[in-house]
Formats: sequence, C-alpha cells, structure tokens
Amino acid sequence: MQFVSLSFLLLLPLAAIINFIIPRKFRYIWLLVISVAFYLSIDLKAAAVMAGTVVVTYASALLMEKVSGDGSKKKSPGAMAILAVSVIIEIAAMLVFRSDKIMGAIGISFYMLKSVGYLVDVYRGDLKAEHNFCKLALFVSFFTQVISGPIERAGNMLPQFSYPVTVDFDRMRDGFLQILWGYFLKLVIADRLAIFVNTVYGAPASMDGSIVAIATLFYTFEIYCDFAGYSAIAIGVSRILGIDVMKNFDSPYMAKSIAEFWRRWHISLSTWLRDYVYISLGGNRKGTVRKYLNILIVFAVSGIWHGSALTFLVWGILHAVYQIIGFVTMPLRDKVSDILKIDRGGLSHRTVKTVVTFLLVNFAWIFFRATTLEHAVTIIKKSFEFTPWVFTDGSLFNLGLSQASFNVGVAGIALLITMDILSFNGVEIRDRIIKQAIWYRWIIMIAAILSILIFGIWGAGYNASSFIYQQF
Amino acid sequence: MKIRLVNILKTLAFVCVAGLCVFGATVVLRDKDSEYKYADFFDRADQIDVLFIGSSHVINAINPAVLYGEYGITSYNMGGHGSIMQSTYWELIEALQYCTPKAVVVDTYMLQKDYKYLDEMYEDSTDEDRASSVAQLHLNMDCWPLDKLKVAAINDLIHDEEIKKQFLVPFYIYHHRWDVLKSNDYKTLMGDGDRNKYFGAEMRYGIELTPGIYGDPEDDNGLGGHTIGEEYLRKIIDECQRKGIDVYVTFLTCSASVDDKRAMDSARIICEQYDVPFVNMQNMGVVDLYTDLNDTGHMNANGAIKATKCIGQILADSGDCADHRDDPAYGYWQERADQFYHEIYDIAVTSDSVYQQLNYLAGAEDVSTILYINDGSQAFGDSEMRTLIHNFIVTSTIYHTDGPYIMIKDAASGQVYEASGAQALDGIETGLGTLHYQPVEHLFRFLYTDEDPENNLLYDDSKIDYDIQIITYDAQSGEILSHNYYKSYGCNYTKG
Repeated sequence: MQFVSLSFLLLLPLAAIINFIIPRKFRYIWLLVISVAFYLSIDLKAAAVMAGTVVVTYASALLMEKVSGDGSKKKSPGAMAILAVSVIIEIAAMLVFRSDKIMGAIGISFYMLKSVGYLVDVYRGDLKAEHNFCKLALFVSFFTQVISGPIERAGNMLPQFSYPVTVDFDRMRDGFLQILWGYFLKLVIADRLAIFVNTVYGAPASMDGSIVAIATLFYTFEIYCDFAGYSAIAIGVSRILGIDVMKNFDSPYMAKSIAEFWRRWHISLSTWLRDYVYISLGGNRKGTVRKYLNILIVFAVSGIWHGSALTFLVWGILHAVYQIIGFVTMPLRDKVSDILKIDRGGLSHRTVKTVVTFLLVNFAWIFFRATTLEHAVTIIKKSFEFTPWVFTDGSLFNLGLSQASFNVGVAGIALLITMDILSFNGVEIRDRIIKQAIWYRWIIMIAAILSILIFGIWGAGYNASSFIYQQF
Repeated sequence: MKIRLVNILKTLAFVCVAGLCVFGATVVLRDKDSEYKYADFFDRADQIDVLFIGSSHVINAINPAVLYGEYGITSYNMGGHGSIMQSTYWELIEALQYCTPKAVVVDTYMLQKDYKYLDEMYEDSTDEDRASSVAQLHLNMDCWPLDKLKVAAINDLIHDEEIKKQFLVPFYIYHHRWDVLKSNDYKTLMGDGDRNKYFGAEMRYGIELTPGIYGDPEDDNGLGGHTIGEEYLRKIIDECQRKGIDVYVTFLTCSASVDDKRAMDSARIICEQYDVPFVNMQNMGVVDLYTDLNDTGHMNANGAIKATKCIGQILADSGDCADHRDDPAYGYWQERADQFYHEIYDIAVTSDSVYQQLNYLAGAEDVSTILYINDGSQAFGDSEMRTLIHNFIVTSTIYHTDGPYIMIKDAASGQVYEASGAQALDGIETGLGTLHYQPVEHLFRFLYTDEDPENNLLYDDSKIDYDIQIITYDAQSGEILSHNYYKSYGCNYTKG
C-alpha cells in the first residue's frame, strides 16, 4: 500500500474514524496496528528488519538508562559502549539492507535515523528511555513517516502518543487541505514533469541543449514537488490522526543563500545532521578551518545517506563547497556591496540572491539525478548549448508531454511559486482558506480534488505510486 | 454535541457535492465509443427482437436499419472490434440482462483463437497486439454498469489485476482524456450525446479491389480440437437454448484464409451437434468478394445490404420475428432505415471516387446512371473497373472493347443499354427522355434527348481532357442529379 493508491485512500477515512472513536489512551495501540499493517503490506521481509531495529533501539535505550543510573549528564563508558554498538549495528543494517541487491528495505534510511537520534538523545540525557515497547515501536514505524520521513524526533513524538490531542473538525479540515496540496504537488506537477525529465535524461546527448537545460529546471521542481508532496500528505494524515509532525519544507527555493536553503529544504534531515553529526563533530566551536571541514563531512554524509553512487557524494560536497565559498567570500562581498552602495535589504538585491541560490541548487541537482558522473557531465555540456528555437518549433512537446500537458506542468509550477512567495512572506494560506465562507472553501477544495483527479498523472499507463525519496 | 452534529452534516454535504462533481467529471471524461454504440440499445432494449453478436465483421456486415427497412425486424448489432468468442459471450450475457430477444445471430470469425486472456494472448503476441486487444475490449465493456456480472466478465477476460482496474473503474484510464475533449463529451453530461445511427452497425464505403483468395484446408474436420473459441461458442448456444432463444450461427463473407475455413468447418460441426442453423455466407454467393468488401476482412455498405437481406430472409422465414413496420411505436426504426438509404443515395450521386460511385449506382433503385468512357481510356485496362461496370449488365461488352463505351441504366424501366465502338443508340426511352447517342470522333460525341436536342449531355469544352463521365438522374422525375468527370491514370482516377 502506498500513499498514492486507492486502498490507502479508502482505508484512511476508516482509520481516522476508528482513531476518533476509541479512547485516547489506547490510540497509540491503534496507530501501531495501522503502522504495522501498512508496512507489512509494502514489504513483508523488510518488516523483520524493522522489528529488529525496534528491539535493538528499545533494549539499547533501556540498557543505557540502567548503566547511566543517576541520569547525570556525565555518561559512563558503559553507556557510550552501548550507544556505539547499537548505532554501529543500526547504521550497518541501514547500509546493508537498503541495497536493492540485498533487500531494498523501504524507508530504512528514515526510520534508522529516527532510532539513532532517539538513542543519542537518551545517551545525552535529553530524553528518558521509553519503557512502553509499543510506543517506541510506533515511534520507529509510524506509518505516515516510515517511507520518506519526516525524520521526527522522539522528544516530539513520544509525548503525543502518551497524551494525544483532541481531533476536532478544524484539525481534520486542516489536515485534509494539506493532503490535497500534497497530492496536487505529487500527481499534477512532480509526476508530470518526471515524464519530460525521464525522456530527456534518458538520452541527453541526442537532445537540443535548451531542452536539456529545461529538463534540469523541471527536475528541480519535480524533486521538490515529489518530496514536499509526500511530506504534506504525511503531515496532513498525521494531523487527521491527532499527531503533529514537524515541517519538512519551508519555501526552499526562496532561500537567499545555500545555508538558508538547507534551513528550508528537508528540514528534518538537515536538523538531524546538524544535531547529531555537525554538533558532535564540534560544529563551529573549534575554529574556522574545522568548521569548514565539519561542513564538508556533514554534506558528504548527507550525500552518502541519499545513495551509494558517486554522484550523490558529489552533490553533497558541492553543497558544502557552495557554503564554504560563501563564508570565505563574505567579507569581499560585503565590501563590494558597501562600495557600490547596494541596498542589501532591497527587493532587487534579495531577488538576485534568490535567483543565484536557485541556480546553484539547480546545477547541483544534475548530479543528484544523473546516473553516473559521465552522464552528469554530458548534461552540463549540453545545457550550455543555446538552442532557443525549441521554444517555437514544437520539439518541446515531443518528449512525453503534449502541449496541453506541458502547459499544465508550467501552470502548476507557477502556482507553486506563488504559494511559496506567499508562505515566505508569512501568509498562512490554509488558515486564510479555512477562514473563508463555506461556499468559498468548498469551491477551493472541490477544484483541488477535480484537478488532482483530472490532471494528475495516475492510473493506467503510469506508475505514480512511488515517491523519489522512497529509494533513499 | 450540537456543533459535532452540524460538523458531521457539513461533512456529509461536502462529500455529496464533491461526489456529484467527480461524477460529472467521469461522465465528461469517459471515452464515448461504447455509449455511442449502445445508446439506442439501452433506450430501445424492450423493442429488440434479434441480437447480432461477434467481431468487427458483424459490425460492418449487418445493418439493423436495413433489416428493419426490408423486413420490419428489430435488431441490434452488438459486434465488437477484435471481439473474440469469450468477449462475444460476455457481451451477450450482459445484453440479456436488458432484453429478451427472440433470436441471436452469432458470427464465428476468429473461432480459431485459442487463448484465454485478452491481455496475454499468445506467447509470441507483441505488446502492441496485447494493448490493442485490451483497448478494443473497452468498446464491448464500458457501457455496462459495474456489477457482479461485469466483475465476473472482466475476471474471465483479463488476467492482469492492474488492467482489470481500467474496466471496473474506467475513470482510471479515461481521466487522461482532458486534453482531447470535444463538444460531444460535454453534451453527454446533458444526456444528448451523439449516438450510432444504425443500431450498433458501422458502415464502410470503400472497395477492396484485390481480395486474397486462399485454398481450402486438407480436410473438413475443422480446428480438430477444443479451442477456447469453440468452447465459448458452445456456451453461447447453451445459454440461448437454455433461455429459449433461437440461435443462428454465421460465417460472414470475407477474404477467408485457410485457418478461417477451418473455423467454418468447426462452426458447422458444432452447429450439427446442437442442431442449430449454420449460415455460411462464404459459400452462398450472396456477397461479391470483388465489389462488396471494404478491405480483405470487412464488408462495405453494399455487402452489408446484401448480407443483411440474406439473414433477414432467413429470420423472416422462421416466422418468429414480427414485422413491426406498421406499428407507430416503431417509427424510430423506420427513420433510421430511411436515413441509411438516403446516405447510400448521397454516395451514389455525389461520391468523389469513381469506384465507389459505380459500386453504389449498380444497386441503386431510385437513381439512373449514364456511364461514358472515351476510346483509348486506361479504364479499359483496369480489371476492377470493368468488374464494377459488369455489375450493371449481364453482357460482357465491357471486357472486349477499347471504347468509346456508353452504358445507360434506367432505374425506372429497369432497362440497361450499352454501346461500344462506332455503335449508336437511337431513341431509347428513359426517365430523362428519349435518348440518342452517336459517337463522332475522339473528342466529340452526341447524347441528347428529343425533348432538349440542343443540350449535348456528353460534351463540355472545359472538360475535354476527361475520359470518363457519369451522369445520374432521378429515376422518377428525370432530373439530373450529378454529372461527374474523371480522368484515368492507369488504375488511378481523379475527379474533375
């Protein structure tokens, strides 16, 4: 069962109604039942790996708590050894079982990071070990996050299992709107752009240069819509079930620097890396050179986490290099700005920074999407061949998308950018919608449903059921 | 509690409104081929006495409008493109939920197909074949509402679970149609979408000039076993006999291969076993392979008229099917019959194709024809052309002349006149008047009536290069309906 499946859409209301009816103190058991069933429906064998992860995490945390005894911040060597062993086991299991050649366990990269984060929190004394096995199992396996995150923190999730909030009408409505937006991003935009991108990236050498550049631009939006779409559905479904999940995207392409981009893109992963890798390495407390080295290490880890291919490593390191260059050149840029009397708060300057950041991110995505480094180099070379006639000779519409479908994709991107600009400027769109009169809300919601059903890439001939980040 | 109740009611209302909108979208977006074909079936199921079932051979060969026009028998053409026996069987079972026919006529083309699932076919079938097979099933299946029977049918016909979904919930595949919507798609929402004019039949108007002729099988034992096709033919007969419905098994004329002829033998053997009539039109000489086929497999409208009349006579002779022509409640059927004959009339008079025009003029009862071919025309070397002309007249003059040649078919009197070479026609009585024909020289000849001797019907300065002329006139009034000029280039003809 996937988020984009009829069975999921049919079972979700049932799950929500039962969740709504049963006493709050037992809700975590129902959520665990759903989560186990959800994961079993996807992959029976991989469920064994998950079960092992839950057992190791649960037992290790209890052992650390027992060894640490008084709960003082200064940890005993025993606790450190338990942490080291359990983390090594889990990271090793992640690297082994995520391989398609061995098992290809879905979601393992996500729930393993959750587990490791929990163990570190317990080791650091930031969190007490969870004694209720079911609650811990639910934290690790919570079905809305198990495939592609967000990589939640135990400190946020476990209390919600123990003290669930009341699921009221407003919460349901809000969750429903978020789910609709998620499906729109995934089915109408991401999967539509994917058709074009896959065609072009399948044979870039034979394409006109501008078409390759457009495909890369489309991929930049495809991966955003795919992943943000999944996150929106996950957050919306969780909300309907009475669980608040952390925000995973916050208008990332509006960022004015690469560092800001990472504060807005895949927030749950970047904060996880910051809290459990960057800070553990000393962060920025040990000098400038060490800070740059730490940034390199963190982004190399991020690259490796995304995949074992060299392209992911290059992608990660490229982002680290962007940031280091940004830090190194900052005094120079400041001086130039002063000399030229540039209004750094002005719209034009902010726009330029946003555009430059976007182009840098866009360039890096080439490595993320390419199958090999040679493939990436071919795409980059082709992208610089300027062939503007593709905009008028109709060749854009021979790459898997008809002109009408292409236009829907572009319109979807325009809508996404508009929503992100509004969100970036503090406009809470869902709140605005919910505050409108009932007929207005209904028109928006029904239009969204129809758009997804009609313009969405789903059904016969398309495999829209899997999300890009599911593979990581 | 009150707030909760209000919220529940609001939610239910929203679900209803949203559901209604989604339903509207499914109506607009769904492919209309199936409901186009079956619209009149659902509207007039209670009036239907005969069902014709089978493949596209049936679709093109049986015209219920003709059957009604000639015999007053009401029928529906349920044939499906690429419909093999198991598809045909389920088509019948679905149809029997809505009507109780007195007779079912099942065609046995593709009886030799021996695969169970349409999405799998044979091991060596190509992906294109499989995709086409699945796509064609939509015509048969989309019109039926989702119920237990439809689920059983799809389970029997399709193996792949994913493909089944597109039949059980057609929106699964048709929501992609948003960029090809036409006015008819929206009209369907208001219930006035286009519908098939001829009760499920599709008429084709081309001519297959070179049908393949194949040998006979070495024996007459048929397919020699139990193909899936044979199994389902038995099921069809069983079902009809169980319900007291007369069954007629046919093989409609086509350019039949050796395999097709084995299928005919098998059909005959099964009919003998079940004691049901087998109408093998291939051997009856009803349909002319050289003029009545649209392509090697399918009849054209001329062939359809002949085939339908042939079956109609058999049905009429059985005495089970009533003649409804005097019943005002069946006026709609007569309208459709008239519409079809009018269409044939238009083609005979105004067609741009010399082959097509000659083909339909030969059978026309209310249009008379004058055909003139100048001497030296390449039409005299065109065997297909000569065959079509020979359809008008029993003499073999056309096969032995280099022209000039004239043939006059006067529909009112039923007479056909011809002259070739230096021969003249003098004072022949026609609906046009008393006609005189006299060849003079290569670029000049006379054809005029006593009533209007100044009007030389076969001479026009501006058309001097054209070597073929066809004049049509109304059989009753004598009014000239059309005057077409053609120029021959080998076996190709351009209209002037």
